[in-house]
Amino acid sequence: MAGVWSSIRYLLADFIGDDGGTPPFLPDGLPDAVVPVASEGIERLIDYQGAGYAQLYVDRLKRFVGRHGVDDVLFGEIARLMAERMSYDDPIGIAQAKLAELDAGPGTPRVASDDVRKFRRDELVEALPAAVADPLLGILEWRGWLHRPVSMRFSTAGRFGVRRLKIEAGLRRWRLFSVRYGTERVWVERWLHMIDRSLTKQPQAAAEIVQTATMIHDYGDVYRQGLADWHLIIDGLAKPTFDGALALPDLAGAIREARAAAMPDPRQAALKRKIAEIRGRAQAPQLVVPANAGTHNL
Amino acid sequence: MDTSHIAEHAGAVSSFFASVFVVATFSMRTMIPLRVFAILTNILLITSSMATHNYATLALHSVLLPFNGYRLHQMLQLVRDVKKSVNSDLSLEWLKPFMTERKCTAGEVLFYKDEKAESMFYIVSGRYRLVESGIELPVGAIVGEFGMLSPSNLRTQTLECIEPGMVLSVTYTQVEELYVQNPAFGFYFLRLASARLFQNIATLEQRLAAHAAPPAAAPASA
Repeated sequence: MAGVWSSIRYLLADFIGDDGGTPPFLPDGLPDAVVPVASEGIERLIDYQGAGYAQLYVDRLKRFVGRHGVDDVLFGEIARLMAERMSYDDPIGIAQAKLAELDAGPGTPRVASDDVRKFRRDELVEALPAAVADPLLGILEWRGWLHRPVSMRFSTAGRFGVRRLKIEAGLRRWRLFSVRYGTERVWVERWLHMIDRSLTKQPQAAAEIVQTATMIHDYGDVYRQGLADWHLIIDGLAKPTFDGALALPDLAGAIREARAAAMPDPRQAALKRKIAEIRGRAQAPQLVVPANAGTHNL
Repeated sequence: MDTSHIAEHAGAVSSFFASVFVVATFSMRTMIPLRVFAILTNILLITSSMATHNYATLALHSVLLPFNGYRLHQMLQLVRDVKKSVNSDLSLEWLKPFMTERKCTAGEVLFYKDEKAESMFYIVSGRYRLVESGIELPVGAIVGEFGMLSPSNLRTQTLECIEPGMVLSVTYTQVEELYVQNPAFGFYFLRLASARLFQNIATLEQRLAAHAAPPAAAPASA
């Protein structure tokens, strides 16, 4: 009977979003100093999505085990920031966090709270599975409503509010099929790829590349701005340096300088000016910022 | 003479045989025999429904018959093409009907090094470069066919589009489905993948030999 039941679960795994695997083990050879951060990351991702997702985190960490140029501090930062980015703030995650606040543990008084968060419409739709989200996004774009703000209440005050949060948090079963997850997966891979290339081409800049992950946080306009700025800096400075198209001996300094110039401006005027200035100083063979730079996910 | 009772008996007999064939169809383990039995069932049910004037069943199986025939044709053609490929140029062109188009823009990365491999690509147009090795891949190249068979399942390089173009992609799951549905396909696919692997090893050996060969002796001075 157990065999039949497991076959049914396997058949419907995609539909029911089954992720009942066993928690992953820490990778062999992980430095002792990184163990607490990595363990915390695994727990965080199991709560956020499930054991399978935490396994992806462990697999990504394995890439840096024993890697030349990666000391304990740098590895710890990669582990910490990767766990943060892999547990990104989408409406499902915020609902999960509110429910976790409510169930803080035995003996802790239950404190009800009421939050109103402002998202963009496309952000809400992107949290749905791609099969549902794609046509909806098409309609929103056609109507010109894609970037309109929308307020969403996350309330633990009252049975109705908690029930609603549970439904929203339940959508995590299908999170890995969502448009947003696709974007986040590509972003994490690109970030890790840039760290990898930095370790090969300019190891002294690796720590600064790792820290660029802190540019992306929260949700709504803040998230979009951070993401667009990150892509602009990577496309304008880091990638051309690694490709050999730009001679920047102090890439870390250049990234710090560019980050300091980033303003909460959707046109990114100050940041673009600063990147052009840095590239001009470097007297690169190609001084033009790529046409597609910074247009990602704006 | 009233022949309706003969038609009724004929209808009952063909219904009985059709039922036997339905059971046989559902008991098939693999796709080709399943389709063959489904076609035979369709023919019997069309015959019996004509005799018993059951037009709904007649219409249903008249639709299912060409459908099953087409799918059987696809499967047989696939096996034939893979078998042909094993014996000739080792190309994976036969996968094209199962692939989906994807447009790529300059700067777009199709996959990253160390990422878990989930699909293979066939380059139709544009220019693509393996970032770590700097190798540019020609139009017609297949990328990522070994990822499906390798135990680690990880990409060994990053593939970046450097000039806009189009690729065809097929997920490993789709290839696995073909493999499981069709043992003959699976057998020839394994032979093809092994042959391509041996071909790569031979190329590497040649390069190694060329690298290790002593430089040509300098012409003797007068």
